[in-house]
Amino acid sequence: MLVEQLINGVVLGSMYALIAQGYTLIFGVLDKLNFAHGEVFMLGGFVCLASIALGASLPVAILVAAIISGLLGLMIEFVGFRKFRSPDAHITAALSSFAIGLVIIDLSQKVWGAEPVALTLPGTLQTATVSIAGLNIVVLRLAILVISLLLMFVLYGVVVKTSLGRRIRAVAESPAKAALFGINVTRVNQQVFFIASAMSGLAGLALAVRTGYANTDVGFTFGLKALAIMAIGGMGDLRGALIGGLLVGVLEALAFQWGLGQLADVFVWLFMIVILLVRPAGLFGTLISKDVRA
Amino acid sequence: MDMAAQPILAVDGLRKSFRGLTALESVSLEVRRGEILGLMGPNGAGKSVFINVITGLYPSDGGAIRYCGRDVTALPSYVLARLGIARTYQNIRLLRRMTVLENVLVAIKDHASQPFRSLFVRNRSGGVAAAMALLEQFHLADKADRLAGTLAYGEARRLEIARALAGKPSLLFLDEPAAGMNERETEELAATIRTSHRLVEAIVIVEHDVAMMRGLSDRLVVMDSGRKIAEGNPADVLTQPNVVEAYLGTDGADD
Amino acid sequence: MMQDYVVFVGINIVLAWSVYVILLAGSLSFANGGFMAIGAYVSGVLTVKFGVPLVLAALAAGVAAGAIGVLVGFPALRTRGIYLMLVTVGVTVSVKAVIESIDYVGGIQGFGGMVGTTQWHVVALVAMVGCGLWALSKSPLQRILDAVREDELSAASLGINPVHVKLVCFGAGAFLAAVAGSFYAHYLIHVAPDQFGIVLSVFIVLYAVLGGTNNLWGPPIGAAIMTLIPEFVRGLESWRPTAFGIIILGLLLIRPDGLLAFRSITARARGIFVTKRA
Repeated sequence: MLVEQLINGVVLGSMYALIAQGYTLIFGVLDKLNFAHGEVFMLGGFVCLASIALGASLPVAILVAAIISGLLGLMIEFVGFRKFRSPDAHITAALSSFAIGLVIIDLSQKVWGAEPVALTLPGTLQTATVSIAGLNIVVLRLAILVISLLLMFVLYGVVVKTSLGRRIRAVAESPAKAALFGINVTRVNQQVFFIASAMSGLAGLALAVRTGYANTDVGFTFGLKALAIMAIGGMGDLRGALIGGLLVGVLEALAFQWGLGQLADVFVWLFMIVILLVRPAGLFGTLISKDVRA
Repeated sequence: MDMAAQPILAVDGLRKSFRGLTALESVSLEVRRGEILGLMGPNGAGKSVFINVITGLYPSDGGAIRYCGRDVTALPSYVLARLGIARTYQNIRLLRRMTVLENVLVAIKDHASQPFRSLFVRNRSGGVAAAMALLEQFHLADKADRLAGTLAYGEARRLEIARALAGKPSLLFLDEPAAGMNERETEELAATIRTSHRLVEAIVIVEHDVAMMRGLSDRLVVMDSGRKIAEGNPADVLTQPNVVEAYLGTDGADD
Repeated sequence: MMQDYVVFVGINIVLAWSVYVILLAGSLSFANGGFMAIGAYVSGVLTVKFGVPLVLAALAAGVAAGAIGVLVGFPALRTRGIYLMLVTVGVTVSVKAVIESIDYVGGIQGFGGMVGTTQWHVVALVAMVGCGLWALSKSPLQRILDAVREDELSAASLGINPVHVKLVCFGAGAFLAAVAGSFYAHYLIHVAPDQFGIVLSVFIVLYAVLGGTNNLWGPPIGAAIMTLIPEFVRGLESWRPTAFGIIILGLLLIRPDGLLAFRSITARARGIFVTKRA
């Protein structure tokens, strides 16, 4: 029972991590919080729902969700961030991205309603189990875990090893200097938004498929929690988002196990405040303040 | 202890590095009461880092800073400002969207250190007279109601110095005040600094301009690669071989 | 009916000001819906279960919310201002979850029995807060706040403690939101945790920002317009989030500085001139 809960926690955590990595990537590069990110996640579930309803297979639905979420990310970058790039535009960017988020939720509710919508996949994918070491594990959860981890390792590899990653890191360090070296900062911002949003959309798809429902609420519940997880792991740090996500996922599963499920949301934020108090840079981050440039 | 003999600032073995790069390697120096101390050195010598550590912008990695005999090593910048250490910035940091007069008013001591008291105490004059007098001294009185962001370069420099003085400091740090100025502007600046000197106990100037430093400073300290390489009266220091060498090829360069 | 308008517009004006006070020091708060909930519930428990007079209960609720604000705001502000935004989101989410789990105040069902708010309470509250903010705008404190908002580093090297200034403003904003929440609850008679979600917090910020935060008259105008228009334009109510979202985006894109700007140059000069004469 406990082991099963732990596995559930890790699966949950991998989805948190997927969203949190998007937040942290955008924050690391633009130094701004994207409050519309959770709504991209939410919409990922509905894009999957709509694709399946139109007769698409799951792999096609996954592809469509990733692409549409990525495009949505490009739109968010253009409307909510392109004009507000100066270092002191934190507030403006927060307002504009929150406004975009409001619009996305409201329109989604106009289309799909405010209640959760059932999402059933053809076949037995959602219920099939496999027995490992005497434990019955839902195959789907295992697949979500594996795919999420794989995506995150690919992202890490891209950021650390490729030339795109080098450009991303250069802009994260200093957009002005990156521009001096001939890097197209706007292009990099777009790439970052596309990647982050596609990942977030896929996480939303995973959640919808796992729970069997697409829900317009999850951006504000699930999605915002990933924001706290980002800060717990260290803002702008990919490893931090991964480990923070898994940690929070497991802790939440344990909280449910002990009958404290209702307060799980509160623990995450309290955890974040405690981290800010004792280790301001997060569990893994190094606090590089872009503000101090005397 | 004899107050006059005690240095206003005593720095001992100050160290600072950024991500493994050493910016200050055990720098020790004293600032004496009544003097203008010049701090020179080629780019990357660590002069600006030195000021930034002293004024609490960066924490130090080691060493001690004593101000008026008191250990101030780990204090944040606003506490240092209240104690009487004022500064200007290399790239002028005015409150650009506030007026010239407001820039000075903000720094008036009672307001800055007890901001919420002014809501309850009926002191409506708000230090305007004092601020205007200061602006008068720095030839900015006629521009009092302009936005600080609209000032010409030389005026902005003067305002930044006037603002630093509004808190009635004892020790004033000027970080490359002549950067980007032509000869005539530099001469005006030297006059401004002399005016300032009457209002504070000591001034430390970081500067490249050799002529200006020779004319203004009572003593010179030369830094190179995070270390102090020379100290003494300007005429002697500027002819020392290692100083000349440190400056060869880099003189006049600006960062 | 008239009384409804007065009360709801008045409450929203105070809420908009509660965000304005925090914005004055350059922070943004998505916690004011949460503080409002704290106000509603703390004052509600005090009046309903302990028979405390409404005004006293509202003040106590305000102080409680202010204290919580300072407590959670400090770790964030001590590090970097942007962290405060995260903390404020957390406050709203957490307050709602905590209230939902406390059976003593009715859990998800909500809490009822609060009565006593009249339109005169609200009018008096608006007048008092307005006068307070007006006095602030004429005091040297306004310039200190302007300085912190414009450039924290620069302000610090002039002897201003930016963390202190921001923390006091955050606490004051929490106080105002909770007082507004107290009177709101005692007008509605019954409140439920659902009413105080993150969307409410975002709306409160939008009231303030849409009206313009470059002086203290913008937020009340924004709050009044945004409260009344949906009442009179049939059908708009259900499109509120989209309409608000698009309007705010449009305004931000057209006049990025306009909404969060400083007082105009003439207003600034006049302000000082008045001080000079007195």
